[in-house]
Amino acid sequence: MSAIEVKNLGKRYEFYKKQAGLLGTLKAFFHRKMLYTDAVDDISFDIEEGEIVGFLGPNGAGKTTTLKMLSGILYPTSGQMRVLGFNPADRQKSFKKQFGIVMGQKDQLARLLTPMDNFALFKEFYEIPDSDFKQMVDELVDLLGIREILDVQVKKLSLGQRMKCELVGALLHNPKVLFLDEPTIGLDVVAQKNIRDFIKKYNRTKKTTIMLTSHYMDDIKELCERVIIINFGKIIYDGKLSKLISTYATDKVVRITSKDPIEKSALEPFGVVEEHENIRAAIRVPRESVKKVAAQLISSNLPIEDILIDEMPVDDIIRVIFQEQKKEQGGQELHP
Amino acid sequence: MELMTLNLKQGLVIIKTAWMRNLNYRFTVIMYRVGEIAEILALILMWTTIYATGAGTIKGFTLNEMITYVLFGNFCGVIVRNFLPAYISRDINEGRLSMFLVKPIHYIRFIFFNELGRAALAFVVSVSSQLLVILFFLNKFVLNAEPAYLALIVVMIILAFLTEWLIGFLIGSIAFWTDEVDGIQTTVDRVKRFFSGGYFPLSLLPLPLAVASTYLPFAYSFFMPAQLYLKKIDLHAGLMGIGIQILWVIILSVILNVVWKQGLKRYEASGS
Repeated sequence: MSAIEVKNLGKRYEFYKKQAGLLGTLKAFFHRKMLYTDAVDDISFDIEEGEIVGFLGPNGAGKTTTLKMLSGILYPTSGQMRVLGFNPADRQKSFKKQFGIVMGQKDQLARLLTPMDNFALFKEFYEIPDSDFKQMVDELVDLLGIREILDVQVKKLSLGQRMKCELVGALLHNPKVLFLDEPTIGLDVVAQKNIRDFIKKYNRTKKTTIMLTSHYMDDIKELCERVIIINFGKIIYDGKLSKLISTYATDKVVRITSKDPIEKSALEPFGVVEEHENIRAAIRVPRESVKKVAAQLISSNLPIEDILIDEMPVDDIIRVIFQEQKKEQGGQELHP
Repeated sequence: MELMTLNLKQGLVIIKTAWMRNLNYRFTVIMYRVGEIAEILALILMWTTIYATGAGTIKGFTLNEMITYVLFGNFCGVIVRNFLPAYISRDINEGRLSMFLVKPIHYIRFIFFNELGRAALAFVVSVSSQLLVILFFLNKFVLNAEPAYLALIVVMIILAFLTEWLIGFLIGSIAFWTDEVDGIQTTVDRVKRFFSGGYFPLSLLPLPLAVASTYLPFAYSFFMPAQLYLKKIDLHAGLMGIGIQILWVIILSVILNVVWKQGLKRYEASGS
């Protein structure tokens, strides 16, 4: 059975448009034109138990709206969804006890309390038995290495420490499904990696189904085999991350190392020079002509020592996809 | 209904947590008392000045009774007061309500216990500071230790706490429809203060207004318990008042239920 099933799900927000200024405000007071935007527009996907799926998209693409619908915060306007066999919109208690959610931009822990006091409160919310609670806290705290901060007020913690505590809070009741909305937002590289490693390990041992959104491609690359890319409320890609690369990466990157620095202009005839720094450079070349270009580079009289052919970074591929979309949509994101 | 299921341990932990949370506001807790005491002293000073002009009694109140009214009424007012409008509206506007919607606990239930915890703490602190003020004016304080009256007062205060809680929650819920509730909150606070008898005993009002005020819930947070204490009304009138309070609790609960459901629908539609 799939842990998450989504069929033709849609969410339409209604809003009023108001002209700028006082006059506009007055006009709007008497007559308002109702407009709408489809934040999520007819999306469908299934997620199997134990899968980690990366949910990608630019700001306003509909990622958070989707997660909010799946966790029962928002009612969908159309379509069906099932999480662990429940309709999240019913907000049944038995459903709530089986999933967890972390929103990177919204704290669930009370700032004035210590993490431990917060956990004790959650224990009551979820009615977790004493023994399970102790074991779970021990396990998670060790895994994240946060034992020494358990008795410090949350407001005194660093962002990274707080996020770790947020994760513990969301996992205490051993959820079967976990929604992570930007869990690494604003964190430094080390803290990001810590969180990432934790999620990976946790998923491996607990077989928790995880849906993750992130702006950091490293998160996605490290954690998710499968990605769903959403833009303007529509799914534009759903599949293996590796396949995304082979499908959409029309270019490859030729990385060269030279004995002496080479002028950028000397490399430009071969392709788009993406990086150029002292004795290293990276040139983007269409996939089909990469062999030819590599051969040309070697046979040229440039002082080249080494040539490496790489796939395009995933970030770039996705950026290209989004840019193409934008062109097609003509930047209509705000218009109904 | 999920809301009504009694899980005492859960409630106790929420109360305990509210204590921990509010003990962080040591400075606020103390500064609140300073303001309270200053206001009480100002009222006592005012009445003392008025009575000094030669009036023996004003509408049946002697100076000592008036001072007792101020002291005892404020004592009750402090117990039943809450800060729910600001609290609830913030949770709604900042989207923190979402965090409760995903957890297997009802928000209203949580807030109820949380507020009970906060009020219990405020109670301890206020009682101490108020007792201090009362001690200071002890020679002017009218004593009443009759168990029947005191019992009625306790019931009245508990019901007043509930009523104030419901009103506070309702005002906070307005945040579902508008971004700010400060304006309406301030207005309601003033109306409440007036009709609670916080400025002066409601019996000083023209009779129809004074009678009408006893049918509003506000008088039971200050005026009515003080009147009972001073035996200005008898036990029978006290019981009548409790009946009115129970009616208000029922009416307000029903309204809150409807408003909250509608508000949630709006919240779910737009999200924050």
